[in-house]
Amino acid sequence: MFRVELISDTSTATPGWSYAPTRGFDPTQAMAPTLGRKRGIRDTGKGGDISSRQANAIARHLAELDRENQRDVSIPVPVRQAREAGARGTRAKTTSNVRRILQSQKTFRNHLDDEEAAIASGSGGVGGMQGAGGASVVAAKGSKAAAMRRSATPASAVGIKRPSAAMGATGPSTPARVTTDAEADVNDEGRKPKLIKSEYDNDPLLRSYAPPVPSDRIMQRLLAEPPLSYNASRAKPQASGRPGRHFCSVWCVLVCPIEKDPGWSCSTDDFMN
Amino acid sequence: MGTAKARAPPRTPATPTQPVETSRYLPEKTFIIDNGAYMIKAGYASHAPASDESISGCSSIPNALVKTRDNKIVIGAQLATVSDWNEAMFRRPVEKGYVVNWEAEREIWDQSFFDGKVTSRNQNYHIADPEDTTLVLTEAPNALPILQRHADEMVMEEWGFGGYARCLGPTLNAWNEIHSLFGDPVSNTSDASILPADCLLVVDSGYSHTTVTPVYKGQALQRGIRRLDLGGKHLTNYLKEIVSMRQYNMVDETYIMNEVKEAVCYVSNDFSGDLEKAWKSGQKRQGGPEEGIVLDYVLPDPNANKKGFIRPHDPLLHAKKKKGAVSGLSAEVLSEDVLVLGNERFAVPELLFTPGDIGMKSAGVPDMILQSLSVLPTGLHSAFLANVLVVGGNALIPGFMERLETELRQIASAECVVRVRRAKDPVHSTWLGGTRLAANREELSKVSITRQEYQEYGSGWAVRRFAGLV
Repeated sequence: MFRVELISDTSTATPGWSYAPTRGFDPTQAMAPTLGRKRGIRDTGKGGDISSRQANAIARHLAELDRENQRDVSIPVPVRQAREAGARGTRAKTTSNVRRILQSQKTFRNHLDDEEAAIASGSGGVGGMQGAGGASVVAAKGSKAAAMRRSATPASAVGIKRPSAAMGATGPSTPARVTTDAEADVNDEGRKPKLIKSEYDNDPLLRSYAPPVPSDRIMQRLLAEPPLSYNASRAKPQASGRPGRHFCSVWCVLVCPIEKDPGWSCSTDDFMN
Repeated sequence: MGTAKARAPPRTPATPTQPVETSRYLPEKTFIIDNGAYMIKAGYASHAPASDESISGCSSIPNALVKTRDNKIVIGAQLATVSDWNEAMFRRPVEKGYVVNWEAEREIWDQSFFDGKVTSRNQNYHIADPEDTTLVLTEAPNALPILQRHADEMVMEEWGFGGYARCLGPTLNAWNEIHSLFGDPVSNTSDASILPADCLLVVDSGYSHTTVTPVYKGQALQRGIRRLDLGGKHLTNYLKEIVSMRQYNMVDETYIMNEVKEAVCYVSNDFSGDLEKAWKSGQKRQGGPEEGIVLDYVLPDPNANKKGFIRPHDPLLHAKKKKGAVSGLSAEVLSEDVLVLGNERFAVPELLFTPGDIGMKSAGVPDMILQSLSVLPTGLHSAFLANVLVVGGNALIPGFMERLETELRQIASAECVVRVRRAKDPVHSTWLGGTRLAANREELSKVSITRQEYQEYGSGWAVRRFAGLV
């Protein structure tokens, strides 16, 4: 017979395993060189216009630019005998928290992966942070905060997805541009849209209004929102869809005076004389 | 110890309506650390921070462990003693703007702030008694909660500060006096306590990344914060890469290339035009030194104790050198190594505006500002666009401000006024804002926790407290 199981949305921390919602196909995962490299290599790129080979090369280049040193080098913190004896004399003993932190050799990448996994299982973010001195009151507050966070997430997600069409428009603005955020409070306390002074003020079709300043209530709600996750706060690709510039590679990078078409390659004569 | 804790809380006479809890003791002395990836900006908040001179209370300490060519390890402020920067290797505790490696960071903090006795030289940044000091520590936006917790635990358990506030770095800039910067009338309420600006859009372009933070009355609008993972480090590395490909192998010369970058790079306001010009002057093979885009950078020579410097490009220098002493050049000139910098000068900082040039699928700084605004109520757009403040080291690249203002003007809504200003001192601006926050005791105590509270509730609580959830 069939077995029907209700998957709970809450994060019941079952040791060993848990249901983690998949968020569709993740291009960053696909770019990891360890995963299905051979098969993926000639696929047309996940980004649309580049192959995954190019995508890999770009990812590697970016990682290279992010390095502190060209070579891996270990620079140990000098050992100090004096620390324990003299300087530390007045200080309290090193706590277990401190010892754990100091011994951690995790990189930012490790921490980020942990956090992403926690978010996927629903226990990420500040709300998931349980106190070392976590009394039951604290725990209850924590879960409330987590619930708040969840409810807030769709709203902010919608907000992010919304294109900056309203901002991109350079024509005269109309009251219709007041977006959902402000809509509820448009009529609060006589917050009428302000007329923008122009020579067309008498023309009902052309006169334009400045959107009203949101009410305090909205501002308080916005200020109370939790931070976005590290990856969610990353800048998105350009909305205008302006095609990227292409320079031809190696020698020509930036040596050629003209921006080239992607398919164009310059002859060596261009820069040999 | 005990007497210090039992002391009554410092009351500010200006706040009679807000009764301060008598059990809460927040030390009066406030130390501010703006813990940048490249440089720590630290110092005590003075009691009269209104003047600009208070910046003199700020010390900049390199946030790095360095291994020099002769395998010596040099830490923090000692870096000033290094004369030979060739092949110097760096270890930085801060990754992506967040303190990740506390082992190294503790060493740097210990040496800078806690070791030894107070002397006239270090009195500005020596913390003799942490339990009697309130620490204001900045962090980059969108930090991972686990890293925030690490920071809290280190501050409260390793050093045991009496009071502690962890704030978003960019928001502190709103506390600075920015009205005069934007040419607005300065409010005449000089006797009132210091308050943050209403609306300020802070662009912080630092060493490891560039962030855009909309700040409303001193608080960040979290949903509007955007980050571009490009900063001064990437520019230096990119310059290093280009130069190594075309001229000398400089891949191990991070420090020197950083100096070169600071000396020659600029943001072009006419990219293709400048590209053309640089190309043309590269074509010429005759004539002496000339004014133009192409520059020569003479690399430092630690053996002769000479620093690097720039001079106008001499296209014939290479040919003359080949001839050797016959050409009449002095031995000094013959022995020097020269980098010729043409389009590298502006193609490198260009990354901040078109990250697509290195294949990065991300918008540049001006477009990022619009992305940030697009999730905020339309009514706020004009206020933020009229108050764009740029801080961080990259703001010092010539042409950066002009380019940002021009591009933002082009893509922003036509009715909005666009005003982009550089903070008076873009590197120390955040720190200075911290001192002004510290001067407003009431606000500071709202965002701070005390040692006692931490001991009572623990670090998990502290993280939620600073996130505004408790």
